[in-house]
Amino acid sequence: MASRLYAWLDRRLRLQPIEKTLLDEPIPGGASWIYVFGSATLFLFVLQAVTGMFLAVYYVPSPDHAYDTVQYIQREVWFGWFVRGLHHWGASAVMLAIGLHMLQVFFDGAYKPPREILWMVGVALFLMMLAFGFTGYLLPWDQNAYWATQVGLNMAGTVPGVGEFLMRVLRGGDTLGALTLSRFFAIHVLILPSMILVGIMLHLFILRRVGPAGPWNEERARQRRETFYPRQVYMDAVVMFGTFLVVGVLAATVEFPLADKADPTDNAFVPVPEWYFLFYYQLLKYVHGPLAPLAVWVLPTIFFIVLFLLPFLDRRPDRRISRRPVTLGAGVIFLLCVFTLLGLSLGDLYAVPKTDPSVIRGRDLVEKHACKACHRIHGEGAAIAPDLSYVADRRPEREWHLRHFRDPASVSPGSFMPKYSLPDRELNDLTNYMLTLKGGAGR
Amino acid sequence: MSKRTPEQSGPDEPGAEVETPTGTRRNFFRYVTGGIAACIGLGLAFPLAAYFVSPALTRRKPSWVSVGNVDDLPVGKPQTLDHPMTVKDGWMEHKAVKAVWAVRQSDRQVKVFSPICPHLGCGVRWNQQDGQFQCPCHGSVYDRNGHVVAGPAPRSLDELPSKIEDGELKVIYKEFKAGLTTQVEL
Repeated sequence: MASRLYAWLDRRLRLQPIEKTLLDEPIPGGASWIYVFGSATLFLFVLQAVTGMFLAVYYVPSPDHAYDTVQYIQREVWFGWFVRGLHHWGASAVMLAIGLHMLQVFFDGAYKPPREILWMVGVALFLMMLAFGFTGYLLPWDQNAYWATQVGLNMAGTVPGVGEFLMRVLRGGDTLGALTLSRFFAIHVLILPSMILVGIMLHLFILRRVGPAGPWNEERARQRRETFYPRQVYMDAVVMFGTFLVVGVLAATVEFPLADKADPTDNAFVPVPEWYFLFYYQLLKYVHGPLAPLAVWVLPTIFFIVLFLLPFLDRRPDRRISRRPVTLGAGVIFLLCVFTLLGLSLGDLYAVPKTDPSVIRGRDLVEKHACKACHRIHGEGAAIAPDLSYVADRRPEREWHLRHFRDPASVSPGSFMPKYSLPDRELNDLTNYMLTLKGGAGR
Repeated sequence: MSKRTPEQSGPDEPGAEVETPTGTRRNFFRYVTGGIAACIGLGLAFPLAAYFVSPALTRRKPSWVSVGNVDDLPVGKPQTLDHPMTVKDGWMEHKAVKAVWAVRQSDRQVKVFSPICPHLGCGVRWNQQDGQFQCPCHGSVYDRNGHVVAGPAPRSLDELPSKIEDGELKVIYKEFKAGLTTQVEL
């Protein structure tokens, strides 16, 4: 059936030459597991596009509704938590895939002539993906989103001359608010996607015109050539499947909770950026005073200019690793710096136990409603009702606590605890506090 | 691995021999690739379809609302009572106050009617003099038990589910399609 349909279409559209061009592309040195990162990136991009479209079905880009709509997706829409999880973890995965793809191209010297334009378009795509990350981060309109974006915008504002103007344009005026959210939304879901589609097509078109680079050892490249289909396609597919499984399992098992709704008056909140910005976040901690602009915008600007013009700075056509000590040395030093900063940053994050403001409010609510008149928590309070010191070990599910507060007997038959019909926010705070009450932590 | 030479050649070395797997080996790669595409496609299609149709298939749960004390109701004389409710509209919630007609039958029995005329949806009123519910729009008339007495109404007034708990009258507010002889909930 499928082959008859194909034959019918082929008689009219002459598909075979196109199929040949697409599938019989020769790969110097043969198919390899090293070449899968580009395809993995493309796959993850498509996953982001698809899940993003579906998130847009319920999302509303307004400070009045954005947070509620994300909550609604997370809690009420069937598989909403899963679709949002895929989009969240997919965003991290696509950054990782781009990083690996660029490293492979860099160490293989695949950016060298005649593939300079391919590399430059790739760097432009990378910048667009970072812009996707920055604009998308604001959309849930929670505390993290709000304050991290505030920091990002202020950094843009420190660029001399154009900075102030640039910041105002990005923000859509004086303050981070409704105008910022709607323009970030438009950039994230309309402008960037159309730009990046053109970029991706260009990237693939150039790849097809110049052909894949193959191994840097020319002898090996000449010895053997193999068609793109079926073995490279198969390898790409296996890696895509693995990627899909990892992202899917993360989405299904690791909850990515919203922080509290963005509160512009709460300046005690400390935002933490996504992991792929952490090394830079750490760098900003070390650079003070007159050197601050260096870290905030001089270094990043130089980095991207160098990255973009790399094929013209490192011009010797020889791709052998032994012949490129300076470039590769610089690359290794850069990676060492990034990973050292990342390590330090992770160390800091885990050394200082951050207390979620919601947990603090939950603890206050326990006092306010005199929960300890019946319950005991770490030695304080009466022992009439169950001891709550380690309640999260017994009851780790958020849903259970929420239902229990609203109607204790519904989940704990025979309970004589009164029903607490508090506002959702307070129930949430109480539950967040309850969930910290587990062995060793929570005090 | 067997070799063949496709007519089409690579950009850099025209005419050079290009390997490609053939036979069962080629089929193996083809089937694995196809299988993976199908797995990923189905793995996404099912949750995404459920995600999209979810609001069409979830019905909001009606809840019992206390509209007042039974002892405050005079026997046999319909009273209009406020029925405050929270209406969920996706991620939004708003408060709405609907009215219901409550007719106390005896000591512990109350009939509650929707105030909406089953003819075309106007609000019916109680006329104490005539002892009738009357619709001001098209003249439908009902007795105190909601039965049609006169006018174009196709069915009796719609009775709403009600119960008495600890002396409080509790009601679930519902709306029904107008103009039909049978009750069809909206």
